[in-house]
This record gives sequence, C-alpha cells and structure tokens, in this order.
Amino acid sequence: MNYSPFTTWIIEHGVQEKTLELFVAITIIATIVSLFRYIFGTKSYGIYAPIILAIAYSYTGLKYGLAITLVVILVSLLSHAVTKKIRMHYITRIAINYCLLSIGIISFMIVINELRLGLENMVSVPPLALISIAVLSDFFIKQFIQKSLKTSVGTLVGTVLVATVGWFVITRDYVATYAINNLWIVPILIFANLLIGQFKGLRLKDYFRFKSVLKEKNDDTKK
Amino acid sequence: MIQKSKYKDILGLNRRNQEYIRPYNPPSAKRIADNKILTKRVLAKEGIKTPEVYKLIRSKQQLKFLDWESLPKSFVIKPNQGTGGNGIIVFFGKKKGELAWIRPSGDIMTKNDIILHIENILDGRFSMGNRKDIAIFEERVKTDPLLKQYSYRGVPDIRVICFNGVPIMAMTRIPTKRSDGTANLHSGAICVGIDIATGITTYAMQMNTSSPLSDIYEDIETTQDLAENKVLSGIHIPDWDRILEIALKCQRVSKLGYIGVDIALDAEHGPIVFELNARPGLGIQVANKAGLRWRLEKVKDVEVKGIKHGIRLAKNIFGGEVEESIETISGRKVVTINEKVLVYNNKRKGKKEPEKEVARAFMDTGVLTSRMSEAFANRVGFLNTTKYFNSLNVPKKFNSLKDAQEYIDSNVKNLTLEENIKRVAKIVDGEDVKVRPVVEVKVKISGEVKDIEAVIIEDSEYHLIIGRDELKGYLIDTTKTFRN
Repeated sequence: MNYSPFTTWIIEHGVQEKTLELFVAITIIATIVSLFRYIFGTKSYGIYAPIILAIAYSYTGLKYGLAITLVVILVSLLSHAVTKKIRMHYITRIAINYCLLSIGIISFMIVINELRLGLENMVSVPPLALISIAVLSDFFIKQFIQKSLKTSVGTLVGTVLVATVGWFVITRDYVATYAINNLWIVPILIFANLLIGQFKGLRLKDYFRFKSVLKEKNDDTKK
Repeated sequence: MIQKSKYKDILGLNRRNQEYIRPYNPPSAKRIADNKILTKRVLAKEGIKTPEVYKLIRSKQQLKFLDWESLPKSFVIKPNQGTGGNGIIVFFGKKKGELAWIRPSGDIMTKNDIILHIENILDGRFSMGNRKDIAIFEERVKTDPLLKQYSYRGVPDIRVICFNGVPIMAMTRIPTKRSDGTANLHSGAICVGIDIATGITTYAMQMNTSSPLSDIYEDIETTQDLAENKVLSGIHIPDWDRILEIALKCQRVSKLGYIGVDIALDAEHGPIVFELNARPGLGIQVANKAGLRWRLEKVKDVEVKGIKHGIRLAKNIFGGEVEESIETISGRKVVTINEKVLVYNNKRKGKKEPEKEVARAFMDTGVLTSRMSEAFANRVGFLNTTKYFNSLNVPKKFNSLKDAQEYIDSNVKNLTLEENIKRVAKIVDGEDVKVRPVVEVKVKISGEVKDIEAVIIEDSEYHLIIGRDELKGYLIDTTKTFRN
C-alpha cells in the first residue's frame, strides 16, 4: 500500500503499520464518545470501555462482538444473582464473576461449535478481543451493585451504541485509508474536542428530560 | 410548537458544569461537601445542626472492637464520601434480645450483615473513585409530623439550591414504598417543587420506571402507596424562612458558590442539615416546572448584602409559582385585591387617543355589578354618555330603593336614550340610594379580555370596582391587600 510521505516516514521510524492504524482509530472513537456524551447525552462506562469495545468489535466483526457482549452480560447477571445471596467481600464477588464469565464464554464457544446458530466462525475470533469484551462485565456489575439494574442496562446500551458507531466508522475502508494518509486529522479531532468541550447548550437527551418544563412554559404563553 | 427561546431558561449538565460548578465551586470547597465528616465540622462552627455522630469506623481493626451493645435502637450507617445516597442504610428498630436491626422495608440485618456492609464501605465500594472510606454511625432523624404523613417510613428532605447568596429553587423529596423508604429519586422517591416565596409545595413528580430513558418523570397528584393517599400540592413546609436562612449559611460557610443543601425537618430539633452538594442535580427543574438558568442569570451580578437580603431577593424575584399552580389545579386565575387592569377605549378617534388605559381596580365581592368612576369613564370614551346622563337632572339621591325603582320605571325610555347606556341601575352609595347609568366596557383582567357591565358612579378612590358578577372564575389573594 502506498502511504503519504509523512505516514511512510513514521512507519520507517519504528512504528508498525497496524499500531499506527490502531492509534488513529482510537482518536476517532474517542471523539465519537465525547460527541455522543456532550451533544447527545449518551451515557457510557467512561471513555475507556467504548473505545476498547469498538476496537474489539473491529477484530470480531459486529455480529460476533454483539453475541459475545450478550453472553458476557447474561453470565454477569447470573453470577450476580448467585453470589448476592452469599455474604462475602466485594472484590471476591467480582473475582467469582470473572471465574463464571470464563466458564460461560468457553461453554458458549462449545455450544456454537455444536449448534452453529449462524456464528460458524466463532473459533477464529481473537482471544484478546474476547477478553476485551469480557472487561465490560466489571463496569456493568459495578454500576448494577452501586445503582440499579435499570441504570446499568441504560449505560450498557449507551456504551454498546457508541462502540457500534465507532466500529462502523473505523471499519470503513475509505475512512481508514484516508485517516492513515492524512494524519493532520488528528489535530483536527483535538480541535473538534476543544469545541465540544466548550459546548454549553442542552444535550439532546435534556430535551426529553425537561419536556415537562418546556411544555409548562409553552402553556403559559397561551394564557 | 415549543418556542426556541424557552430552551434558554433550562440549565443543562454542560452549562451547569462549565458556568457554575467550575468557576464558583473551588476544589477546596468541593472537598468539604464531598466529605460528610468535614461538612459536619465546618457547619458546627457556624452553629448549624447536623445529625449527631455515634461512631466513626476508619479501619477493620476498629470494627472488631466496636461495642455493638452500645448502639441505639435506630441509627443510620453512611459512607463518608458516598455519592447519590449509595451505601446509606437506615435502621429504625432493634430485634429484641438479638444483635439485629430492622430496616424500613422490614428486612432484618444481623451484626454480621452490618459488618460486611461496613467492610464494603471501608473498601470504597460506595465512595467516589472507589477510594478507601470511613463508615459513619449517625443519629436517625425523627421526621416532623407534618411531612411524616406524606412519607413511606423514611425521612423526606428539602433540597435548596443557592447561588451568589440567593436561594434559587427548592424541592422536597418524599420516600415511597418503591424507594424503600429512601429519598433517592432514581429509586422511586417523589419530588415536589416548592414555591420559594411561601414554602408551599406546587407540582409533584415521580420517575417513570417504564420509560427506556432514565431521568424521565411523570406528573402525580397524590402520594402513591400510603394507606390513605394525600394530595401533594399545597403543603406548607414549616419553618420555611429558617430553612432558607440555614441553606444560605451553609453556602457562606462552605464557600461553594453554587450549592445544593439537603435539609430534613426533625420533630425535636427543627431544620437539620443532611449534606451539602457541590454538584446538585438538575431534576429540581422538573419538580418546579421551571428553568434554573434564567434564575441563576438573574442573580449572577447582584450584590447581595446578607442572608436576609438574599431571601428577600429570592422571594421577590422567584416567588409566585403557587398562584400559577392554583390556577392549574383549580382552573381559576388568582387576582390580588388591588389589581391593575387595562380598560379599552370605547370610542377611539385617531391615534392620538390611547387604545387602552391602565386602571386601578378594587376587587369587591360586596357589590354585584362593577362600577367605574365618572372621571375615568370620560377618559375611556364615555364623555358623551356622562354628559347626557347629567343633563337629565336625575335626582342626586332617593329616599328608598322603592322610590328609585319607581323613578326608573317611569323614565326608563329617556334614561337609556344614549347609545352607550345599556340600562340604569339603582345603587347604594354610602348612605344614599342613587340611580346611575350602566355601560358595557372592554377590560383585560389578569391577561383575560372580557366585556363587563359597569355602573358609572360620580367619584371613587378607584377607577374601577370589579363586582361579584365578574369575579366568577377568580380566586382573590388577600395577602397582597396593600401592595399598591
């Protein structure tokens, strides 16, 4: 592949092509996360979880990624339901959750191998991508324990949504090719984040949240 | 269609963080609010009461030596640096002869269960950033009897948001069965807006659990799960001025420019501060059906001279929701006893004459038909009418209503010859019985334009006296009798 002179210079100076691609992808996903957070009001488990998830999805493919996410969440819920009745320390509870998660994912892969279920290529999913998705369990259970299932599910949906958008953007060939050959987009993304960081307006979600306040004010004008 | 300008009244998270929390809440002040023990110390210096601390557990070693027998029947366990009410457990009774305590839901926690919970607190499970924390054994506030009747077991609290030395907005959070006796809105507690001027509750809301979006509230009118549910609007919060005063004192002593103060009403001690919040949530806008942003901007550059001044400012600028809410509930408009109304000119000729005049009106339920002073009637296009009537040489007074009626009966045609005179009426003015012309005039009362019948009288302190006929559909606020 022919790269721009600057990209070629970077690759020639000890940065692997794949590493460069990955870090450019991170800048794009990070900007998507901040855009969703401050403009749309989408809650996610910080910025780390959606970035890792989007990158993991780019290795697994969206179908496999979402299937594994679902398994991780179901096993986490099951693990929590079992362990909450047992009196124990918090970290041991989380540790048991990871043990059950490992068993759950391995079992899931065996089941898929037997039944297929449209996920024939599960065996070729890189293990590191699997582990990256499994990390979601920690975020999910922590918020579930501290707040509520509804809150945690809401944040999970937000995280997966943002990660999916991130996955979609970074896996488009033209985006990847353009970004790697036009590394000036990185300072542009920094500038975009500076702008988002200054945004003081209502988030899209606020319009729904404060609908009753706005409705009331509107009624007043009719009087 | 919702008007764009109305969005500007609402305070969103982005603006709250950038324009209010960051510039007005310095890190040193936030540290005080984020640390309950420090908050108690700082507030105690100012003489502000907070729940009494029974014990502090800083380590697992200390927990081992805790004298469980010395704990009272009811108490609260809190993480020192907890957020959003997480990790707080209330006990309101002790199981007889056992080291076990009863929670509001009826669940029982044994000594071992409590030890485990405290260990989780110490491990930082409930604290910001999962930092190691301290567990607080604290006095359980005994709710004021008035608010107690609206609450399901727990303690309702009052949140007052203050900015620049002025109380901006307030609400009360009432525990429900769904919230398991806690005042946590996300768990299902009810939030009720409070009119800052009077301390009277306005609108009530509860989080909609069926909505896929979090933080979506629905209107409710009564409590939800009590044996006898009660209407939530119109509750007069006791000690209101003292609550506002305490909230402002908390702001002054904590040095938080933008603060949410949580106050409970203790049956014995009165207002007692639960905690200070350096990042108060925005749900208070929903409870009050009003935006925070315009209120904050209104007082941003005001020089507030002291606590009393701050309260006075708040009452004058932000009071009045109660009138609006009464309109919403009863469908009636609220008018003050002395109200300025607009009277439309009956015969406007050219642009030189004003289209309408401002009139000082007196709401008088003692008279049936409204009255208008002759001088004012002349100003609003009835000059020919009064001239005509005065030219008729109608007797200035009659001996009795019967005489007046007889006079009307025999002269009715002549008396009503002028086009504006709809009829003539016999009235009692002071001690005299008089016959006066009645005209129809267009007026605007409390935003509503209507045609009313008015008797033109010779002189009056008021331009208009609005009688019973026109006051149907209005509630008269007599507290503002001397406003003019």
